[in-house]
Amino acid sequence: MQLETLNLNYWAIAPEVIVSITAVVIMLIDAFSKRGAHRANATTAMIGLVLALISVATLGRVGVGSYFAGMVVIDPIRIFFSITILIVAILVVLLASQFLSDEGLPPGEFYSLIMFATSGMLLLASAGDLVTVFLGLEIASITTYVLAGYRRYDIRSNESSLKYFLLGSFSTAFLLYGMALTYGATRTTNLDGIRQAIASGQIIYPQLLMIGAAMMLVGFGFKIASAPFHLWTPDVYEGAPTIVTGFMGTGPKAAVFAAFLRVFVGSFDVPVEGFGLQLHNTWITAIAVIAILTMTVGNVIALSQKNIKRMLAYSSIAHAGYALVGFVTGNFATVAFYMLAYSIMNIGAFAVIQILARAGDQKTQIADYSGIGFEVPGLSFSLAVFLMGLAGIPPTAGFISKFFVFTNAWESVPALRYLVIAAVINSIISVYYYLYPIVVMFFRPLNPGFVRPRVTRTTALAIIPDSARHLLSGVDA
Amino acid sequence: MKEYLPILIVFIFVTGFAVTNIIASHLIGRRKNTRAKLMPYECGMDPVGSAHQRFSVKFYLVAMLFILFDIEAIFLVPWAVVFRELIQRLSRPFVFIEMMLFIGVLLVGYVYVWKKGLFEWNS
Repeated sequence: MQLETLNLNYWAIAPEVIVSITAVVIMLIDAFSKRGAHRANATTAMIGLVLALISVATLGRVGVGSYFAGMVVIDPIRIFFSITILIVAILVVLLASQFLSDEGLPPGEFYSLIMFATSGMLLLASAGDLVTVFLGLEIASITTYVLAGYRRYDIRSNESSLKYFLLGSFSTAFLLYGMALTYGATRTTNLDGIRQAIASGQIIYPQLLMIGAAMMLVGFGFKIASAPFHLWTPDVYEGAPTIVTGFMGTGPKAAVFAAFLRVFVGSFDVPVEGFGLQLHNTWITAIAVIAILTMTVGNVIALSQKNIKRMLAYSSIAHAGYALVGFVTGNFATVAFYMLAYSIMNIGAFAVIQILARAGDQKTQIADYSGIGFEVPGLSFSLAVFLMGLAGIPPTAGFISKFFVFTNAWESVPALRYLVIAAVINSIISVYYYLYPIVVMFFRPLNPGFVRPRVTRTTALAIIPDSARHLLSGVDA
Repeated sequence: MKEYLPILIVFIFVTGFAVTNIIASHLIGRRKNTRAKLMPYECGMDPVGSAHQRFSVKFYLVAMLFILFDIEAIFLVPWAVVFRELIQRLSRPFVFIEMMLFIGVLLVGYVYVWKKGLFEWNS
């Protein structure tokens, strides 16, 4: 192995490197400042993220292809998902300052954990090899376990962190075992190599690859909170600080979707005569079943939720189901756009909920929202927009993204049209629980003793453009 | 699956060896039991009282830090072993700088825990 064959090009991993360096710098600022250099940390994080965004934009100039001996790839999917992840991270950094100062939590660790998580997610989106997938997933997951328990003295936050950690490690073991078996069957961990091995029909133990694929499906299914593996989601989402919930439900989810797409649609989807076709049919059927289960479980249980964070947790399960519909077509773009629209809506909704819940997440029942519509019109209107987007009501990006995924699946895979029908029925069910908080906000009497929440400038800076972008992207797309 | 047969044989051999030893020493060994000998082994201290007592969280922190910096050594040793071979195949500065970057990141971690006061046991 020579240096040239490794194809080292540090520009190919520039976004990941920039974000990691920023995280390290924040750690050092935190260590050397006396009492929580809040502003310096937030500013550094922001500069790092913007630089990373610029470097993502220049990735296309580095050239589409694989680098670092196939460990990292540059392609449109990576660029698209990286932008989604960075937008999420920027929004979280903007929203975090109010959360941290209201709750009196140490700022340094929070920002550096967010940055480390972001670097892991970026790596996950750029993975060209199972090893990189695992590495990125672990960096993103371990930091998220810590972030879920960031409100250290709150028992619910601790519960959330511990549950997420134990179940998350368990599912990672599945994923890793699946990778090992896949390596055993195909003699390579490179995603392109796996595809070629399947295409050539030279698989030594086809059963081994089948079991490996199934185990990886379990591992990925857990991380995106799809139906038989979704049980951790409501508890973890409810207990974690709201801003972290917004982060967990969007960034890591989008990143895992990127890797999931790469492994399954990218490598296992080789419908050649013989084993390739068998594998293809098996996993497509599995995904179809999982997608229908996920949507139905998420939507039906969300109907009976009294707590808005739990409701949105089930809603995020349902959305994973909708996005899975895009897998059967083998079209990356629809899923990528779906995850972008979903991330913007979801993080926006959680941002408003965080402000309305106040320090310590006291007011997260839907009943607490009674009559606030005309009392705090800005917040209520934003929340209404995000909820309508999640429901997929026309002028929003939520509608357009759903429309793309569903029509694409309907046209390209006639055999699986029942999947689209199930998704549409589920979307209709979901309208009820998305509209319910809006009705409560605008058409119910105000609770006595309602105190207007404080909204800082940075928070407003995050929410207003977010909702505007969300409305606009629906209009021009 | 023929290639894996030796592994199975090793498994059987190892298990058999352990079991045989225990049974053999149980059957033919001489026993003079004293109270101290029958006590559960606990690193030299008397295992008296409940194990569910509170002790300082600092023990955990030190253990955690030990593991973190132990990983450094684990990565350094294989690198040092193949260093000569690597510099012939790859370029010399590349091999060196890659490892220095790794150590640099760990050093930042060390500075961080130091400034955060993890080594100050009296505070």
